Amino acid sequence: MTQPARKTGTALIVHGDLGVMTGLQDALSNSGLSVITARDLPTALLAVTQHYFDLVLVSSRVNEEGDGWPLAGVMHMVFPNSYIAVIAPDKNVVSLQAAVNYGANQVFEFTSSPLEIVGAILRRMPAVSRPVQ
Amino acid sequence: MLIVDDETNVARTLSMVFEREGFQVQTAYSCAEALKILDNKPALDVIITDLNMEREDIGLEVARAAQQLSKRPIVVICTGYANTSNAQEALDMQVDYLATKPADLPELLTALNRLLALRTARERGATQ
Repeated sequence: MTQPARKTGTALIVHGDLGVMTGLQDALSNSGLSVITARDLPTALLAVTQHYFDLVLVSSRVNEEGDGWPLAGVMHMVFPNSYIAVIAPDKNVVSLQAAVNYGANQVFEFTSSPLEIVGAILRRMPAVSRPVQ
Repeated sequence: MLIVDDETNVARTLSMVFEREGFQVQTAYSCAEALKILDNKPALDVIITDLNMEREDIGLEVARAAQQLSKRPIVVICTGYANTSNAQEALDMQVDYLATKPADLPELLTALNRLLALRTARERGATQ
């Protein structure tokens, strides 16, 4: 398997589970990205006002079922050229449809490991073209 | 706007609804007819295409051809036969909206207006 290229830029992880979030944070940091984390929606929205994100990785369930989807939609509107990935319970028609309609680029299942998720994102995410802050 | 659906009644109904909303609507009743229209590189703001016409998932070809236009229109797939395979392909292609039949027309209109407004805002931002 091709190794994903090392990236630069800033990523936002929004996930209610501290363990999963830490795993994702480690994997993204090891790949060269600066990482900001949020465990709830207000913190995520605050982060949007303070940083430019090249990658946003959101759980479809942040504090309650499905609240991550509209957050992904907001991220897509604020950062139209950024890569948006959502982690959902299942990769079924409903979640894929939500991903299309909220402007996400990729969907992962809750059962995927942080390394699998980050590896898959980095293989598909385009290189950051703006200067790194 | 171009509406593509092999069910004449669906195409005509959507056409009437969107004309009432102020869109200029052209209809095609097959993938082949739609591709012929797209070959002439029309200036389209929106294309709404069915998925299963001459064969399963052929609407993705219409979506793909629409995305090749120099000014990329908003691409909506409207289908009664969404499955993980074609929904994944729509996601990979970055289709703008995936609606299931029977389409919730107020929801579709809201989504279209949002997508059109966003595109206009981005175009305005790019020229400033």
